[in-house]
Amino acid sequence: MSDRKLPRLLQTPAVLLLLIWMLIPLGMTLYFSFIRYVLNNLRRPEWTSPSLSNWRGFGNYEFVLKSKDFVLAIQNSLFIVCSILFLTVILGILIAVLINKAFPGQGIVRVLLISPFFVMPAVNAVLWINMILDPVLGLQGIAVAGVNDMLDSLRQMPVLGSFFSLWPEFEPISFRATQTSAIAVIMMVTWQWTPFAVLIFMTSLQSEDQQQKEAAVLDGAGTWSQFRFLTLPHLGRPIAIVVMIQAIFHLSLYAEIEIVSRGNGNKNLPYLIGEFANNNIGAASATGIFAVILANIVAIFLLRMVGKTLME
Amino acid sequence: MPIVAQTSKFSTFGRPVLAWGVGLLFFFPIFWMVLTSFKTDADAVKPENLVFFTPTLENYFNMVENYDYWRFARNSIITAVSATIFTLFVSIPAAYSMAFNPSRATKDILMWMLSTKMLPAAAVLYPMIFLAKGIGLYDTHILIITVLSLINLPIAIWMLFTYFKEIPRDIIEAGKMDGVNTWGEIKEILIPLAWGGIASTALLVFIFCWNEAYWTVRLTTIDAATLSKLIEGNRAPEGLFFGRLSAVSTAAVGPIVVLGWFCQKQLVQGLTFGAVK
Repeated sequence: MSDRKLPRLLQTPAVLLLLIWMLIPLGMTLYFSFIRYVLNNLRRPEWTSPSLSNWRGFGNYEFVLKSKDFVLAIQNSLFIVCSILFLTVILGILIAVLINKAFPGQGIVRVLLISPFFVMPAVNAVLWINMILDPVLGLQGIAVAGVNDMLDSLRQMPVLGSFFSLWPEFEPISFRATQTSAIAVIMMVTWQWTPFAVLIFMTSLQSEDQQQKEAAVLDGAGTWSQFRFLTLPHLGRPIAIVVMIQAIFHLSLYAEIEIVSRGNGNKNLPYLIGEFANNNIGAASATGIFAVILANIVAIFLLRMVGKTLME
Repeated sequence: MPIVAQTSKFSTFGRPVLAWGVGLLFFFPIFWMVLTSFKTDADAVKPENLVFFTPTLENYFNMVENYDYWRFARNSIITAVSATIFTLFVSIPAAYSMAFNPSRATKDILMWMLSTKMLPAAAVLYPMIFLAKGIGLYDTHILIITVLSLINLPIAIWMLFTYFKEIPRDIIEAGKMDGVNTWGEIKEILIPLAWGGIASTALLVFIFCWNEAYWTVRLTTIDAATLSKLIEGNRAPEGLFFGRLSAVSTAAVGPIVVLGWFCQKQLVQGLTFGAVK
């Protein structure tokens, strides 16, 4: 068995690297979360460097739990991630079923569809919030202004004008506002990740049992019941994988949140940490520990659900 | 057979139209970005110049002359390529060891590795900056390459593991009979056999490295700043300078999108960890 030793040892560099990568910064985060540590404080300069004598116990945790942003950030994190998962899975299935059968230009449509997935997240956010969603200068603003102009000219018409004057003017939506910025983030991330879902579902659809489907048709099964009882169960595993991989990426969503609204009413947990970290490292670290706990809960849940099937 | 007739009618006309519509819709924002990059900043916000305008390369010249595009691009290439190579260098032996000499702990180690991906980067950002400045590596290529490699290591190991698992163990064992040692096994048998899988892993890691915008923005200032930093620096508040912004964005994502077009088939398999066939 000694010839097994070297091959087994080959995984140690990777394991060690990841252990160091996790434990050292995480250990420091844990340490900072228990001390008073702020970057700027003229009255208490001793707090500006990390030291055990600034021990605060669970004070930072209490501070974070009491700040109203914290609950909001957790709610928002979950809202954003769940909405994106829901939308990408539904859209992904619909589009995959649509483009799975051969039609002229199928290859080109595939290429067009996959493209958003390769776009840098920062570019994605900049592109959407400015050039597409901006209420004045973006396409949204221009489209709304165009519709309003058209309505205006319709109102000038002799007879029908009185009918159109009952119509309201349209208001463009500002997606940087508190209530709408999460929607903008969901929209842009869904745009980016739906292609990923489509590709995975398409790959899976190609292995669907066609004979079974033909038999179902002979038995008089309609399109809907074929989809419901054959295709959908077949997609179970890919759906689980899409959910897991996306959850990994979206829990730490940051660039989009920052660019869209600078967290204006739309903070998620990573963003809240970043905000605290501008000055209060202790509070940022405590929030970080909460985020790690949340991530672990999700991870355990997801890996239980999906991970084992990946092994087979 | 009314159902069949209905379906075929949809297939000949409805499906292509709908499918093309969806494809164009998804591609539209990218098309719009590229189009806007050829407009002047003034033209870009005028409704009357929405579609018809005099194309100009001004934004691109401006980007190269005043924003030092090539330095950012060079840094992106250096860090992404090096990080990809380093990731493969560490992950190929690890995946080999897990796929062909698994122990009882292998499954748990793999799960644990994936779970490190879920840790929020923000939670360890400050300690990282503190450490990086402490050892004098802040804003260096080495630091960025290390960080990029580490964040992609779990995904790379997972992908390679699923590819390697498909290779019959007998082939690897046969090498042992011929007296090939472990390194020889990896170099002469495994790598040639799993070439496709290794290539798609490399590609995906490269794309993730290129697009990474959390660490690269926060651990650099000038010397090692990548294209994502250039984007960060150029996002003017509240929709000004659309032309300039589009040009910088197009130049940052263009290479990767084109690379993705050519490699999409391999990428799909890679992304699913080989679990969807």
